[in-house]
Amino acid sequence: MTEIIRIERLHKIFRIGKVEVPALRGVNLRVEDGEFVSLVGPSGCGKSTLLHVIGGLTAPTSGRVIVDGMDLGQMSDGLRTQLRKKKIGFVFQRFNLLPTLTAWGNIALACHIAGNRNGNSRAEMQAVIKMLGLEARMGHRPYELSGGEQQRVAIARAVVNRPKIILADEPTGNLDTENSELVLNMLCELNHKFGQTILLITHNPEVSTFTDRIVNMRDGHILES
Amino acid sequence: MVNRLIVANLVARPMRTMLSVTAVAVEMVLIILVVGLTHGILQETARRTAGVGAQIMVLPQTTSFVMGMSGTPLPTQLADRIAEVSGVQAVAPVATQVSSNGGVTMIYGIDPKRFDAVSGGFRFLQGRGLQAPDEVLVDDIHARAHKLRAGQTVELLNHTFRLAGIVEHGKGARIFMKIDALQDLLGAPGKASVFFVKVVNPQQTAQVLEELRRLLPNYQLRDMAEYLSLMTASNVPGLNNFITVMIALAVSIGLLVIFITMYSTIVERTREIGILKSMGASNRYIVSVVLRETALLTAVGIGAGIGLSFLLRRLTGVVFPTLPILITPGWMLRAGLIALAASFIGSVYPAFRASKLDAIEAIAYE
Repeated sequence: MTEIIRIERLHKIFRIGKVEVPALRGVNLRVEDGEFVSLVGPSGCGKSTLLHVIGGLTAPTSGRVIVDGMDLGQMSDGLRTQLRKKKIGFVFQRFNLLPTLTAWGNIALACHIAGNRNGNSRAEMQAVIKMLGLEARMGHRPYELSGGEQQRVAIARAVVNRPKIILADEPTGNLDTENSELVLNMLCELNHKFGQTILLITHNPEVSTFTDRIVNMRDGHILES
Repeated sequence: MVNRLIVANLVARPMRTMLSVTAVAVEMVLIILVVGLTHGILQETARRTAGVGAQIMVLPQTTSFVMGMSGTPLPTQLADRIAEVSGVQAVAPVATQVSSNGGVTMIYGIDPKRFDAVSGGFRFLQGRGLQAPDEVLVDDIHARAHKLRAGQTVELLNHTFRLAGIVEHGKGARIFMKIDALQDLLGAPGKASVFFVKVVNPQQTAQVLEELRRLLPNYQLRDMAEYLSLMTASNVPGLNNFITVMIALAVSIGLLVIFITMYSTIVERTREIGILKSMGASNRYIVSVVLRETALLTAVGIGAGIGLSFLLRRLTGVVFPTLPILITPGWMLRAGLIALAASFIGSVYPAFRASKLDAIEAIAYE
C-alpha cells in the first residue's frame, strides 16, 4: 500500500486577539491509501483542526502535510481548494446539507462543483444513491429527512465524485445507535468497495471499532497508533 | 445545477426576493417614466407645432426655441409684409402664453381667419369658432382632462372665459383665444410671439426662407423641420440635468437595496457558503453564485419594471390625459442596463465578502 497522507511535526496555532492558542503541537501521522482510520480523543484535543488542515480548509502554521503527494504548506488557498474539489470529501456531524436543495440537488451540486457534469456522473450518482438506499428520498429537502437519511445524503455527496480521501468529523455524533451503525457500515462498505481512504473523528470508542486503525489524540499530540 | 441552487435560494426567501425585485422595478419605472414623460411632452409639443401646418416660423432674434417663454415682441403688421413675399401662401401671427391654471398649458392667441388659412381650420367636436374676446377654444384632450363642455365658463389667466367650442387636438396649443384678447391680457397690443408661415410649394421652403431672411435680417427664421429637430431634452435648459438627477436617484435606490439584501443574504447564508467551500467551491464560484443570483433578481425586476411602466402610462393617460409618456425600446434597454449595472455594483462587495469567508468559521456559523 502507498502512503496517501503524511504529516510531520505539524503545528497549528490560532490567534484570538493577542492570545495564541496552540491546537496542534507537533503532530506526526501516516495514513496508507485505502485505510479506514479513526482519530479518537476528547473534545478540544485538536482532532477537528487536524481534519481541517488535512482537508485544506486551513493552512498549517508549521510542519509538513503531504496529501496524495502534495505539500499543503506550500499551496495557496486556491490550490488547496482545487485539492479539496478533486481529492477530498467531507462528512460533518451536523450533516451540513444545503437546506434549499433536495437530496438530489445536494448530491448533484457536488458533481457540478467538481466539474463532473456529464452522463457518467449521473450514472455514478445513481449507483451511490442505490448503495446508500436513498432512491426514494431524492426529491425531499433536508428538513423532510430523518437524521440518518440526512447523514446518508451527506455521505453520498462526499463520495459521489470518488475522492481519494473521505474526512468524517463525528459523522454519528447526531445519530441514534441504529442510524450510527447504519452509517458506519456504509462507510465500511464504501471503503471496501471503492478503496477510498477514510479518516474518521470520534470521541466514542465504540465507533472506532469499525475502523482498521485507531489513532489516539490528546492536547494537540498523537499519543499512539 | 448552480441555477437550480440560485432559484431555490430565491424561492426559499420570498420576502427578500420580492423586496429586491420591487426595488429594481421601482428603479426601472422611475427612469422609464421620468425620461418618457419629458420626451413625451417634447414629442407631443413638436407634433402639435407641426400640426399648425406651417413650413417656416418667424421668431424674435433672441428668443428661446421654447415658445411661450419669449414674450410677445413681434409687431403683427409684419404679417402683411411676410405675406407679400413670393411663394408665401398664408401667415398666422400668434401670441403665446403659458397658463399654470390646472397644469402647465400653452395658450395661443390667434386671428382665426389667418390661423385657419395656415392650419386648414379646426375640426370642431363641440360648439363653434371664436367670435368674442371673452371666448376660448380648447382641444379634446384638455377638455377631457378638465371635464369641460362647450358653453360653460373657464378660469384662465385670472379671467373668466366662455368655452365656445372643443376642437380636435394637434394644432399648436391646447387652448386658443383671439389674439387681441390675449394681447390685452399681456399688455402687448399689436404684438405677437411667432409668425407661422405656410408656403405655396413646400419643396421651395428653402428659397422662401432665403427671401424672408433678406427681408427680415433682425429676426430669427426657422425651417419647421429644423425647429422640430431641436425639440429634444438636450435643448431644453436644465432638462437633461433634471433627467440625470432623477436617474441617479433611481440608481441609488436600486443599488442600495440590492447591496443591503445581498449583504444580509450573505450573512444569513454564511454556513451555506462554508459548506460550498468545504465541497471545493472556489472563490470565483462563490462570487459567480452571488452575482448570478443578483442578475436573476435584476432581470425579474427589469421585466416587472417595464410591465409596471406600461401600466402606469395607461393609468396616467386616463387620469392625466395631457401628460403623454413616451416609452421607447431604446430607453427600456438603457434603463435595463443601468439597473443591471447598479445591481452589479451593489452586489460586488457582498459577493467578494462571501468568497473571502473563512471556511471553518463559516461552517460553524449559527
